[in-house]
Amino acid sequence: MAHLSLTPTSKLISSGFVWLLWIVLGFSTSHTHADTGLTVPQRVTLSPNWYTQELSISWLGGGATTFELIILRTEFNETVFYETVSPTVNKVSGLHQWTWTSVNPLECTSLSVKIRSRDGHTTSEWSQTETLQGNDHPNSEQRVKVFPQDKVLPVGANITFCCILDEGLVLDKLKYDGNTTSVTRLSRRTYSTTVFNLVASRQSGSNMLCLPEDKEKLYGAVVFVGYPPLPIDFKCETHDLRSAVCQWGKGRDTHLYGSQRGTRYFVNNRDCSEVNQDVGQKEATCTLDTWEGNWTLVAKNLLGQYSLTDTAELSHRVCPVAPDLLSVVADAWNASLSWHWKYDSYSSLALVCQVEITATEDEKLIKRVFSGVGLRSVFLSDLYPDEHYSVKVRCGAQQNFWKWGNWSKLSSFKTKTYVPDTPDAWIWLNTDNTGKVIWKPLTRRQSHGKLTQYEVFLWSPEENRALAPAVTLPPNNWSMPVNLTEIAFFSNNGSVVAKVTARNDAGSSPPARVHLTSVEPLAAPRIVYTDQGFPLFWENNANATCGYVVEWLDAFCPQDCPVEWIKLPAGTTNVSIESATFQPGVRYNLSLYSCSSDARELLKRWQGYTQELVPSVALTLSASQQNADILLTWKEIPLVNRRGFLLGYNIYNSTGYQFKLLENVSDPETMSYTAKDFAKGFIKGTFKFTVKAYTAAGENTGTTATVTIEPYTDWLILEILTSLGLVTLLLAIVTFTCYKKRKWVKKAFYPDIPEPKLPSDWPRTRGPLDVKPSPHSMVCVVETPEYDCIKDMLVAIPEEDEDDAGQGIGDESVDTDEPTSLRYYNQMVDERPIRPRFPDSSASSISSMSSAHTDVTYTGIQTSGSSLVLQLDPQGSSECHQPQLDRLVSYGGGGYRPQMQPRAPSDDMDLPSPESFLEPQAACSGGYKPQGSWQLDSPVDAAEMGSLAPSLGSPTSVASTQFLLPDGEENTGEKRQLSSSAASWLTNLLSSTKP
Amino acid sequence: MAGRSTRGINGSNGSRTAPARAAALADLLHYECSTLLELFRKKENFTEDVTDRRLVSVPPPSSQLDTRDKLWRIHSALLQCQKLLEKAVAKEEEELGGGKKGKYENKRKLVKERLPLLILSTGELLKAAEGTTSLTPSVEGLEVNVPTGLLDLKLWVYRVYKEVNYWSKTAANTLKELPSVIVKEGARTTRARNRRSTRR
Repeated sequence: MAHLSLTPTSKLISSGFVWLLWIVLGFSTSHTHADTGLTVPQRVTLSPNWYTQELSISWLGGGATTFELIILRTEFNETVFYETVSPTVNKVSGLHQWTWTSVNPLECTSLSVKIRSRDGHTTSEWSQTETLQGNDHPNSEQRVKVFPQDKVLPVGANITFCCILDEGLVLDKLKYDGNTTSVTRLSRRTYSTTVFNLVASRQSGSNMLCLPEDKEKLYGAVVFVGYPPLPIDFKCETHDLRSAVCQWGKGRDTHLYGSQRGTRYFVNNRDCSEVNQDVGQKEATCTLDTWEGNWTLVAKNLLGQYSLTDTAELSHRVCPVAPDLLSVVADAWNASLSWHWKYDSYSSLALVCQVEITATEDEKLIKRVFSGVGLRSVFLSDLYPDEHYSVKVRCGAQQNFWKWGNWSKLSSFKTKTYVPDTPDAWIWLNTDNTGKVIWKPLTRRQSHGKLTQYEVFLWSPEENRALAPAVTLPPNNWSMPVNLTEIAFFSNNGSVVAKVTARNDAGSSPPARVHLTSVEPLAAPRIVYTDQGFPLFWENNANATCGYVVEWLDAFCPQDCPVEWIKLPAGTTNVSIESATFQPGVRYNLSLYSCSSDARELLKRWQGYTQELVPSVALTLSASQQNADILLTWKEIPLVNRRGFLLGYNIYNSTGYQFKLLENVSDPETMSYTAKDFAKGFIKGTFKFTVKAYTAAGENTGTTATVTIEPYTDWLILEILTSLGLVTLLLAIVTFTCYKKRKWVKKAFYPDIPEPKLPSDWPRTRGPLDVKPSPHSMVCVVETPEYDCIKDMLVAIPEEDEDDAGQGIGDESVDTDEPTSLRYYNQMVDERPIRPRFPDSSASSISSMSSAHTDVTYTGIQTSGSSLVLQLDPQGSSECHQPQLDRLVSYGGGGYRPQMQPRAPSDDMDLPSPESFLEPQAACSGGYKPQGSWQLDSPVDAAEMGSLAPSLGSPTSVASTQFLLPDGEENTGEKRQLSSSAASWLTNLLSSTKP
Repeated sequence: MAGRSTRGINGSNGSRTAPARAAALADLLHYECSTLLELFRKKENFTEDVTDRRLVSVPPPSSQLDTRDKLWRIHSALLQCQKLLEKAVAKEEEELGGGKKGKYENKRKLVKERLPLLILSTGELLKAAEGTTSLTPSVEGLEVNVPTGLLDLKLWVYRVYKEVNYWSKTAANTLKELPSVIVKEGARTTRARNRRSTRR
């Protein structure tokens, strides 16, 4: 195919020749593609932009508006791009142009480009392949092996690197900032990798390393990742009223530094970069010779640029320079400060200036503001004499104030000396009229120069003369001893005033006057310390012409006490006293003096603690027993050890494990305490008594005294007698009550028994109801096994229901022989069935007798033996059989007759002694002997032993109704007589109440 | 050798410790330079020992070398190191600097300031050994080829640091092996020494 190539030099060819060529070319192409009308693009040219990785492709002809464009990696013939594009056309030259941006750097590998025209579905032939030679070409002489080199990219961007290895090398890995990346092979020697979303790099950039297996070789590139500039706060001002100084903040860190990548600044197109390269500075400035009124700041780097503008009149942006050459002329109390201005133009400028004065003594800062046109000097008053000062000044425009200018350099000066202040003098007197005139040391501020001495005069106001030559004291001495007795001698008992003056190089101070007069002490009420100190209040005293003095000191200081005081002006009526020397637990005396020209007068006095503590020492305690009382005595705590106002004493008693408060003695003057009747109730024992003094802060540790209590028998006797008396009284009351209420008692306890209703001729005569003992209720009398005691046994037969005669039927004949002594009385014992305490009734009986723990109740009067169960000896009882009443009869008219042999009292509550079992005959012959030695209260026995008397008032077991207390079968005849008479009386009483 | 006199450096007792003092200085420089290398490696994420190419050229070590030759050798190497280091610091600051100065920059400054002190010490020892100053090595003609690419520049700076590190250690070892009293061994010409052009 015929082909003509065009070169840029064709422009030099005459237009006629060009037309000829176009005609020939058009003929040729129309001849080639006469059927489609599309021609093959000619003169394809590739123009790479290596930095932007853009490949500009241009060509001529084609006869279409759209073209198909294919880009391949030459070596592997891989398609990189294949699309239909619409290129721009240069209407003059007819040159088509289209730009392709490559992901990979164009140097990485060779690229081949072909183009063909497209019109709908019709295409031309492909153009001749045009190749952009990459650096992996064998003929390439490029030394650089990794692309792109030293690129600058914004944060968040992506970048693709490629590495071209030397011939024969094998790639090991690619690493971006130490991290291995994934690799794509582009050609035989070229490998690429892409890093996404780049982060800001460090100052020296991020490294891309290409590491072949041959460790000797190493290739790489550096990439800088950062931000475009973003300056802030752009403002312009003037210092000299002519030029403009523009300032701005550099804003965020661009991460791009140095002359090549750092941000460049331009103000109104003037390059201000050089003076703003220091990355440490957050602020940037640029000076313009004239005030232009409008300014534009442009900040730019390789990633972009940013603009800020400012507009202002000169008079609104005046920021004066720092005053220069400060000079001070100082006096004792003031100084003149002057300075110079760098610019003469300030002479007409209304200025406001701030002067900052710092005293070297206490570094206290004094700020003062002055103003004036062209201000260049100020007068500084209220300074202290003999004081070092440093001063600095800054100014601003008084009108349209913009901002303060810079501070001047510090200037130092010293004020002159001056006579000292009057010393603050006072007097302290001991009780013996000796004392000292004291004064507070003058501070540096009060001295007004170095003190040389103090002078003290004793002066007689009446005579207006000095009583003695002046006493000169060194400046570190602040007291002078005085003796009022001696002074009175010199002054003819007139008043004396001590005058104290201080002296320095500038002269003597005015004298301080102190009246040397003693004062009478006053009562001192207590005062409570508060957060603000001791609050003192008083009424104004007309005599206090020169004010008041409040003095305070340790209340227990005996001699030459360190006294503190404060002077108050006349008219003052309250003050709060606070001192750094106040200590907790120390009592302070506070005295208020009036000050007059004649004398000092003590007006008021207080006492108080800043903080009360518990007493620091324990009491001296002694204890003794006085009969039943315990007497505790102690000694007073010394005042200095009290450490608070003593409120009283707490007295404790400790008994091993208990610590009990016995008494609170709220009178601190009380020095003794008697524990009344403490020894009562204790046979013998050791007891500890602790006495603790207490203040508002609490108790001290206390002192303990031990008392051993001796037996106190009198009390026991008294207790017994009292108890007996009470019992007697109770009995009397009961008896009296019963007598008074006998009708009610009769009705309640002995109601009338209704007459039986008999169908026949049952005798209707009233009389005692004779009952016969029920055979089944017999009580077995103790007998020995060897002896058939049944015959000797007495059986008490309680009352039974009338229809319960089964058991007694067989013995009816015997019953008839029974004496009439078993007379029935309406029994008022508990009608509840007598239940054994244990399931076994016999055991219950035994336990009720043998147990020392028995519930007891007084049942009143019991005259029937129907419910009585006599507890026999267990052995004997086991031998018991049906009683033979004939044997009972043999005992005579008394029927059952209990054994009445006397016994020792110790046996009363015990089981029978073994001897009793060894002598069965004797036992049997003695008749029945109940275990409990209680009398069988059958009517017969009652008659023999005084009837009911033994049962009266005796406790009975709730389980057995048997009287538990031994009645005293062995009682003396007298006692028995008493009981008998009482029982008779009660019987008569009750009988008399029967209807 | 006839007519050769022996003396200690400066002829005083204190001179006897000059090699030891120089060795201590070399030890200190070696320590500082090791730290600098570590800081640089960490800063640039150079995890591998990226390069071991030598930049300093001196005669190879040999058991035949006498005290003067040993001193001359380390003195010459240190002089080359100094020139390389100054160039490296200047180029690094120009191409990669401009930011805030940190630990690395401070350490770099320290090494740069301490190296001349060691050179001064070895120079004094060499003078004492030679008896004249005319035979001290010079680096006036030494050409320093600085790479153009930034990564190549970094690698080159790294190599320079490694050279300083290596030669400060070598100097310390050599100086410790030297006798405490340096003996003047007579004049020798630099030309003879320069004939040993073999690279180590």
